[in-house]
Amino acid sequence: MEITLTHYLLLAAAIFLTGMVGFIIRRNAIVMLMCVELMLSAVNIVFAAFSRHNLDAGGHVFVLMNFAVAAAEAAIGLAILVEIFRRRRTVNVDDLKTLME
Amino acid sequence: MEGFLFWFCGSLMLLGGVMTVVQRNAVVSAVWLVFAFICASGIFALLDAPFLAVMQVLVYAGAIMVLFIFVIMMLQGPALAEERTLLKLPMWPAVAVPPMAVVVMLIGYLRGHGTTALGAAVPAGFGGPEMVAKLLLGKYIFAFEMISIVLLVALVGALALGREERALPWK
Amino acid sequence: MESHTTEIMLRWIVLVPLIGTAVNGLLNRRLPRLMAGLLACTAVGISFAMSVMVFLRLTGLPAEARLVTDTVATWIGFGNLQVDLGFAMDPLSAVMALVVTGVGLLIHIYSLGYMAHDKGSPRFFTYMNLFIFAMMTLVLGENLLMLFVGWEGVGLCSYLLISFWFTDEANAAAGKKAFVVNRIGDFGFLLGMFLIGTTLLPHLGAGEGLFSFGVLQHHAGTLAPMATAICLLLFVGATGKSAQIPLYIWLPDAMAGPTPVSALIHAATMVTAGVYMIARMNFLFVLSPTALNVVAIVGVVTAIFASTIALAQNDIKKVLAYSTVSQLGYMMLACGVGAYAVAIFHVMTHAFFKALLFLGSGSVIHAMSDEQDMRVMGGLARKLPITFWTFIAGTLALSGIAPLAGFFSKDEILWKTWSSGHPILWVVGFAAAGLTAFYMARLVVLTFFGENRASSEVKSHIHESPLTMTLPLVVLAVLSVVGGWVSIPHFMGGGAQFEQWLEPVFAHHEPLVEAVNGVVEHGAEHGDTTMEWVLAGASLAWGLLGLLAGYLVYSRKVGIAETFQKLGGGWPHRVLLHKYYVDEAYEGVFIRPGFRLAKTVLWKIVDVGLINGLIVEGSALVVAVVGSVLRLFQNSLVRFYAWSFTIGVTVFVLYLSFSG
Repeated sequence: MEITLTHYLLLAAAIFLTGMVGFIIRRNAIVMLMCVELMLSAVNIVFAAFSRHNLDAGGHVFVLMNFAVAAAEAAIGLAILVEIFRRRRTVNVDDLKTLME
Repeated sequence: MEGFLFWFCGSLMLLGGVMTVVQRNAVVSAVWLVFAFICASGIFALLDAPFLAVMQVLVYAGAIMVLFIFVIMMLQGPALAEERTLLKLPMWPAVAVPPMAVVVMLIGYLRGHGTTALGAAVPAGFGGPEMVAKLLLGKYIFAFEMISIVLLVALVGALALGREERALPWK
Repeated sequence: MESHTTEIMLRWIVLVPLIGTAVNGLLNRRLPRLMAGLLACTAVGISFAMSVMVFLRLTGLPAEARLVTDTVATWIGFGNLQVDLGFAMDPLSAVMALVVTGVGLLIHIYSLGYMAHDKGSPRFFTYMNLFIFAMMTLVLGENLLMLFVGWEGVGLCSYLLISFWFTDEANAAAGKKAFVVNRIGDFGFLLGMFLIGTTLLPHLGAGEGLFSFGVLQHHAGTLAPMATAICLLLFVGATGKSAQIPLYIWLPDAMAGPTPVSALIHAATMVTAGVYMIARMNFLFVLSPTALNVVAIVGVVTAIFASTIALAQNDIKKVLAYSTVSQLGYMMLACGVGAYAVAIFHVMTHAFFKALLFLGSGSVIHAMSDEQDMRVMGGLARKLPITFWTFIAGTLALSGIAPLAGFFSKDEILWKTWSSGHPILWVVGFAAAGLTAFYMARLVVLTFFGENRASSEVKSHIHESPLTMTLPLVVLAVLSVVGGWVSIPHFMGGGAQFEQWLEPVFAHHEPLVEAVNGVVEHGAEHGDTTMEWVLAGASLAWGLLGLLAGYLVYSRKVGIAETFQKLGGGWPHRVLLHKYYVDEAYEGVFIRPGFRLAKTVLWKIVDVGLINGLIVEGSALVVAVVGSVLRLFQNSLVRFYAWSFTIGVTVFVLYLSFSG
């Protein structure tokens, strides 16, 4: 069968939803960040697909930007995580409840 | 050929994603994610984006995931501890609502609009490094510069957050 | 509109007393008492001098153009609704201004002596100056709204001055009563003004002030259909301010204030504001014979009603108070039969002799160590000669004895009543005049003749008043004697200058009146003056008879007085003494139900229940409930927040895809 744009978009949607559900479900903060990366990947696929559809390589540029942002966000997120771990000896987000009354 | 490759890479990527989410062990999750990224690279290749495919492997799989695994290894013990259950049963409906809503919407859309074909044939060199570079340093030079600042900020931030606590003079 | 000239001095006539108020009010006790008093007198004196100057300027103008104006600023400029902050003096205002500032000045001088021992006298003079300011605003205002501002201002000053010695609860209550009753009248006044506004506003030209008297007169035709309603409503205001039935009840209670206050406000000036207002709005009243009839009837009924009450009062000031109510009734009667100039004439003469009588009574009270009950007075003629003789002058004037002032004004009122075709009203007015003479004679005899009935301690302190008090008495006595000579009527060979002076103000509307009423009422023909002589003679004789009767009953033959009291089982006397129980009736019909309504409904239900419970506590409750609901979202569970993100994103995506 011919692979249409829609196929790629549906694939990206499925991956995005997977990442989203994973983000809600998992308790381990590191895994949560990994799910975020999944979601970002799905978006990258969408951009690439549209870029191919419209024959505009600007989409590729955006994907590159996305790479950089994802990297930066992962770095900062992990740094924060490390700091939290140092103080509380846990990466389980359910244990971070001090804001509750 | 293309169809086969799409289904192959696509389903493998989906598998990788699901396994990332489902696996209890953080390291195993990370490895599955690497797998998923490599499949994503394949998808990029299918979409006539060779440069992106390579960059995906280099940056995502090669740098970001390495960082993840590095951190997991650093935080030995609690990070690797197996989680009890994924989610208490009564919570599943609430969690399922957003994805279900999106799925329903997509089905409805497909019924209404059908599929859209990919565009016409691709010019030579599309998605190659030369073309991307021309755009990156030409039309999108501003974004390029900004992203480098973002990276700089992230670098400084990570450094500031990551270092050991020293006895500061005013403490 | 008539041509008019501008005169800047008008605003100063009004403002100088205000400056006096400000200085006295702000410096209060820091000034020595005498200084405060002199300052106040000077302020009023300057006002009087300037009034005289503008008056002289007016006389220099031709008769049809006697209008001097001073527009200070535009007060309200709201689309079609224009009201100026302006003053104007025409012959009518000139008379009022001279009376107010002139008599006011004399009373201020009197107060220097009377209030000399009072620690609060700077405050007294502050209020007195404030009163003059408000009264002058009322009198010199060029539009109805300025008049109303002054109207309210004098009401305020009346309250302040009546309850001057407020530490005594009764005085405070009297002040409140005066203000509240006045307010009821003012409600009618305001309704009348609103009616004028709604009737006239659509028809106004550009730049025409809505309540300006000139404009109102110009548009009298437009107002004609509503004239009766407007006039009756305005008259309600007049019954409050000028103490007519049914709103006269505050005036006798107002005697709780210092005597100069009673003289100035409740005899000479403030209470005449109602008469002035009706005279000012004569062009409108003339279009409504119904309203005029109401005014006349209410006036004459009040006149006789109050006279009867005065017969039985034992407090010297109360007698004079009811006398004032009665005389105001005469002024209303005059307005009601269309004799506006005569009404104003009586205002002037009444100001002279009533102020004189009040100041004289103040002198008596001062001598008797603040005793006001006539039953313990007596024999003061020898001890207080100046007071006595001036008091006699005032009594004769009030009783209408020629050639004193009261004769000319009161007789003219009665003549105009008869000649404009109201014989019944004449009879009532005539009867009241006799009663007036009778109770004044009673007052004089009880106070000044015979033997003094006070305690020996009081007797030893009896002394004539100082010069600051006796001098105004003498001046007023002279005015009471000669004041009527400015308007000796034609049939006696005089020139009736007063009426001529005021004529331009009250004329000009024959065609319109004819159109509205179908006929213009003309006074009696001037050919035959026999009736005038007859009636004048009758008035004079009746007055003398009244005086004589009073003297006889109350002087040596004390037994006759007591017989009178016990007449008919004693209850007529008791009824009169208790003022026909009117206050008690009002209390039962209006006041107590009002209190009950306030307590059960307005307090319990509205205030506590609705406002407190529903609105105040209710809104707090709403906030608390909403807050407790919103609190559920702040549970610090990271995964809950994450889920919220996804919900938000989903909603957003769905919205976008379905709205596109």
